[in-house]
Amino acid sequence: MIALVDCNSFYACCEQVFRPDLLGKPVVVLSNNDGCVIAANKEAKALTDIPMFEPVFKIKDQLLAHKVNFFSSNYTLYGEMSQRVMNILGTFSPNVEVYSIDEAFADLSGMKKASLNKYGHEIKDTIFKNTGLPVGVGIAPTKGLAKLANKMAKKIVENNHVFVIDSEEKRIEALRWCKIGDVWGIGRKHAERLKNIGVFNAFQFTETPLQWVRKEMTVVGERTWRELKGELCNEFVTQPPPKKGIGTAKSFGIKLPDLERIEEACAYYISEVSEVLRAQKSCATYLQVFVITNYHSNVDEQYSNSRTVTLEIPTNDTFKLISAARKALVEIYKPGYRYKKLGVNLTGIIPQDYVQGNLFHQPSKLNHPKLIETFDAINRKFGKATISSGLVGTRLHEWELIKKERSPRYTTQWGELLSINSK
Amino acid sequence: MEIITSGKLTKVKSRHEPGVSKQTGFTSPATHYLEPTIDLNQELVVNRDATFFVRIDGNAFKEYNILDRDVLIIDRSLSRNFDDLALIIQEGEFKIQRIPFGFSEEGEFIVWGIITYIIHSAR
Repeated sequence: MIALVDCNSFYACCEQVFRPDLLGKPVVVLSNNDGCVIAANKEAKALTDIPMFEPVFKIKDQLLAHKVNFFSSNYTLYGEMSQRVMNILGTFSPNVEVYSIDEAFADLSGMKKASLNKYGHEIKDTIFKNTGLPVGVGIAPTKGLAKLANKMAKKIVENNHVFVIDSEEKRIEALRWCKIGDVWGIGRKHAERLKNIGVFNAFQFTETPLQWVRKEMTVVGERTWRELKGELCNEFVTQPPPKKGIGTAKSFGIKLPDLERIEEACAYYISEVSEVLRAQKSCATYLQVFVITNYHSNVDEQYSNSRTVTLEIPTNDTFKLISAARKALVEIYKPGYRYKKLGVNLTGIIPQDYVQGNLFHQPSKLNHPKLIETFDAINRKFGKATISSGLVGTRLHEWELIKKERSPRYTTQWGELLSINSK
Repeated sequence: MEIITSGKLTKVKSRHEPGVSKQTGFTSPATHYLEPTIDLNQELVVNRDATFFVRIDGNAFKEYNILDRDVLIIDRSLSRNFDDLALIIQEGEFKIQRIPFGFSEEGEFIVWGIITYIIHSAR
């Protein structure tokens, strides 16, 4: 059997652990640049007129009217709390697949069916006690069904956040209960097409002939179909495959008109992504740079452009990548606009040991491995961007993201500990 | 024979660190006696995933020997025993209190975590 454990309104709950005054109150978390709502707890969701992913400035009045508490995203905190949850889960199962920041599959094979419900509650209670984060647990023979069981665990109050699909009756009950659009792995488009042929719930989907599914929804659909029938198709993946693309795109705190500062931001973003590249021991073949003005503004002139360059030889050298990115940036930059966002993407990612030279360049001569190694070692020891390319400049604070409402990094910074005021 | 209680084996704290002598002349007589340096994380934190550090602002908890700017080490995983010093939530606010006799979580406050150490700066 497989358990799917996921945290309820994870980001909002992370904030509430350290803010008991907000328990039972609506809390939302805003995106990186405070641009839009990316997470809401159940109290905030209950105020149905707050749409997710809507720009904040459009719904600010609604948020204020409902006294919704909002936070800038604090990924340092969320990431660390996530790690705690995953570690605790690791004490319950030898095989845990961390699926996302707030959800994981745990292998419970070999456990007696009769004790699974109790075990599910034990997992839930331990995670809550040790971290303060509420989770839901769904247990079933396949990942697809575990996802479904998890939904039932949460949505049906009597289940008290734990549900086990351990019999044919329960499986059918769960399938009939689940709307087709809510099935894991069935996207909106497929859901629409299925509804058109009279398939409205997961049970009806499993009654659909496999030939139709295979033809219309490819092998992914077939796997979903089989998993819902109880046939194990999605194996455990404990070692995630190396990323095929690494990118970052962030809005500036202010709109930037001048090339010089955009170049600095670009160099900074490149430093970030090339660090990830080296951490997974790979090199990139292509580099894309793009710029966008603020498309929500009706005063500013709008412009956006992107350029992809092929690197002479695949590399993970920050300096090589920065100089390539600068060339691309200069080509797409047009004066007279106020830029809001810049992004860089690295693709064509290959293991660093497979990099081949060509007639003119030898990979070993192109990179400065020792220098970069030292670079990474210093930053690991003393913190992010302690040392960086001179091209990053020193005006980070001028264009950096606004994180006005960010909570303290309670668990990683000595200077930002949870502070108890005793009046 | 009947086994009445069974419990997990407790991990023996490793105090051994094999090493080679780094001295160029006479080999260090300490070579086979090396042990890792005391690490406060090892000594004061039992359950890392359930441990949080909290800063105290003010002198209201003087009666518990907790003074202004002290840092508390709090373990949420510990069971709530009578007379334990705990960080609690009462009416949406953090407070510090000893656990009363016969305490249950359904009572008038929620235990956030048990205080295991008080770090106090002597300077």
